[in-house]
Amino acid sequence: MKFVKVNMSEKSVQFQEVPKDYVGLGGRGLTSVMINAEVPPKCDPLGSENKLIFAPGLLSGTNLVNTSRLSIGAKSPLTGTIKESNAGGTVAAALGHLGITAIIVEGQAARGDLSILRIDEKGEANLLPAQAYKGMRTYAFAKKLLEAYGEKTAILCIGPAGESQLTAASVQTTDIDGRPCRAAGRGGLGAVMGAKGLKAIVVDQRGKSADAIADPKAFNEAAKAFAQTIKAHPFSGQMLPALGTAGLVAPVNSLGAFPCYNATKGVLEGWEKISGENMAKIITERGGKTAHMGCAQCVVHCSNEYVDKQGKYVTASLEYETIWSMGGMTGITDLDTIAKLDYLCDDIGLDTMSTGVAVAVAMDAGQAKFGDGEAAIRMVEEVAKGTEFGKVLGNGPAAVGKHLKHHRVPVVKGQSIAAYDPRGMQGNGVTYATCPMGADHTAGNVIGDYLGGALDPLKPDGQVAASRNSQIAMASVDTMGLCLLASVVLKTPEGGEAFLKALNAKLGTNLGPEAIPAFGIKVLQAEREFNRKAGFTSKDDRLPEFFYKEPLPPHNKVFLISDVDLDSTFNF
Amino acid sequence: MMKVTVRFFGTLSQKFPGYDPEKGLEVEIADGARVKDLLARLRISEVKGGVVAVDGKILHLENPLKQGASVHLLQTVYGG
Repeated sequence: MKFVKVNMSEKSVQFQEVPKDYVGLGGRGLTSVMINAEVPPKCDPLGSENKLIFAPGLLSGTNLVNTSRLSIGAKSPLTGTIKESNAGGTVAAALGHLGITAIIVEGQAARGDLSILRIDEKGEANLLPAQAYKGMRTYAFAKKLLEAYGEKTAILCIGPAGESQLTAASVQTTDIDGRPCRAAGRGGLGAVMGAKGLKAIVVDQRGKSADAIADPKAFNEAAKAFAQTIKAHPFSGQMLPALGTAGLVAPVNSLGAFPCYNATKGVLEGWEKISGENMAKIITERGGKTAHMGCAQCVVHCSNEYVDKQGKYVTASLEYETIWSMGGMTGITDLDTIAKLDYLCDDIGLDTMSTGVAVAVAMDAGQAKFGDGEAAIRMVEEVAKGTEFGKVLGNGPAAVGKHLKHHRVPVVKGQSIAAYDPRGMQGNGVTYATCPMGADHTAGNVIGDYLGGALDPLKPDGQVAASRNSQIAMASVDTMGLCLLASVVLKTPEGGEAFLKALNAKLGTNLGPEAIPAFGIKVLQAEREFNRKAGFTSKDDRLPEFFYKEPLPPHNKVFLISDVDLDSTFNF
Repeated sequence: MMKVTVRFFGTLSQKFPGYDPEKGLEVEIADGARVKDLLARLRISEVKGGVVAVDGKILHLENPLKQGASVHLLQTVYGG
């Protein structure tokens, strides 16, 4: 259990035993509690006082499957709030194998100075000059890093967008095959990394100094049972390996809640062309991979490899949220174009969601016609070129709306909504409005309640409670390092029991089921406290006005949750 | 008897060799049949998914179906 503390002002790296206040925390739990305790709430997110924290989950690096999520936290330059964005890939497991609880990046390098933090097989950490890689896009950069440090290297890096400190910049990370195609996209954390002067973190995956497991035998038994429940579940064991997250295109359009043409309609004309079913057909016909292991320790294999007509790699993995932002919101129904846009964003180091929505706002404001794929590609390329419009687009949809004086900008606290319209799925609207990190789909998605028949998505009743429960659960899951797609089995008796046994065996504790949501509550309380100190009030927990005034076809509903009800979301 | 057109999503169509996603599957069921009757007719259990949506709304097992309905047969998903 140790911290790697990196001071970019002094160019120093130090190791520190984890202080007792942070023992027993991981992932989002650790990043949010630490930011709340140590980062001045009103600081400049792109200044020296902000901290950028990389924390594997509590269970990352163990042999419990699907625990390879890495949380990245900071004060966000996009929202001004506390922020955690997590990504899969191989870094979380690599850090876990080295017994590293977190990397904490402080201070700020001199303007224009770039470094790489390298952590080798023995856990030695050094800052190395990276001037030679200035301006390099992530695919070419990752290739160079793998040549320099070996194939068994896990990489976190930024592209030109992060170096330019644009607030839609992502932190990209490598998948099992060493491609920088996985992203901590949300909140502009790539800009924070760029502001620190850190171009990449490279971690050797062959470390053998993991923290001890208190009861290895019990842990292994629980881990085996947990893996079996994931493989047996219809969602994680069947649907995701077949269609990936793109399998959501059909249900959400079928319910009329797919925000499209910049959130003016709830069903995309021709959505079948960009559905998971059609994507799987195209990939299969062309010889690509519909199921692919993207992250260490994964048994779900929701990832895919999208290939062109010649069978050549285009991108991995084409995901639901990207298909929505680059397809639904823009009216583009050609998967080849969407795949190209996904690749471009990964390569430039941009959040596909914020970028797609920014393009959609520009289209809605008259900059191009909906459905114009060439225009969308041109706009995204402008970010890398550094044109004036490219800088605006790279700062996300709110910046585009302000620049073009357009009113319909689907963001909360500056961050774009996700692929569920709050007028067609009211509970997801509660999550967008109240989530401490701005509109977010992973922080409290309620779609399972709608499809399971537990809740009517169009009526206000029960939505606040559903969002609250989901936000607490997700904050817990993000603390463990558990993939949210695999976390669906926590709702089953056997999955929940196996997970709790594994957690207790790892920590040497005897926690009951109530301990799991307790993690989430602690995290949300820390996040909300930070935001309050930063100047946010309940008035910031609202959707943009147009969601209350412009009905969404086909159901022609507006957002119906009252302010009083929204303010009761965190009544704990 | 009445006819409804069923379109399968997720992995549900794998049970029906030759299924054409553009046309859907025309199914004949008794007049007044309910959602549960359709699922039984198609031999799709609740465990496997079998969420039925018509005209943008989820139907429950006891809801009746109408002649000529366009039925979307979905699987429960939890986000992504």
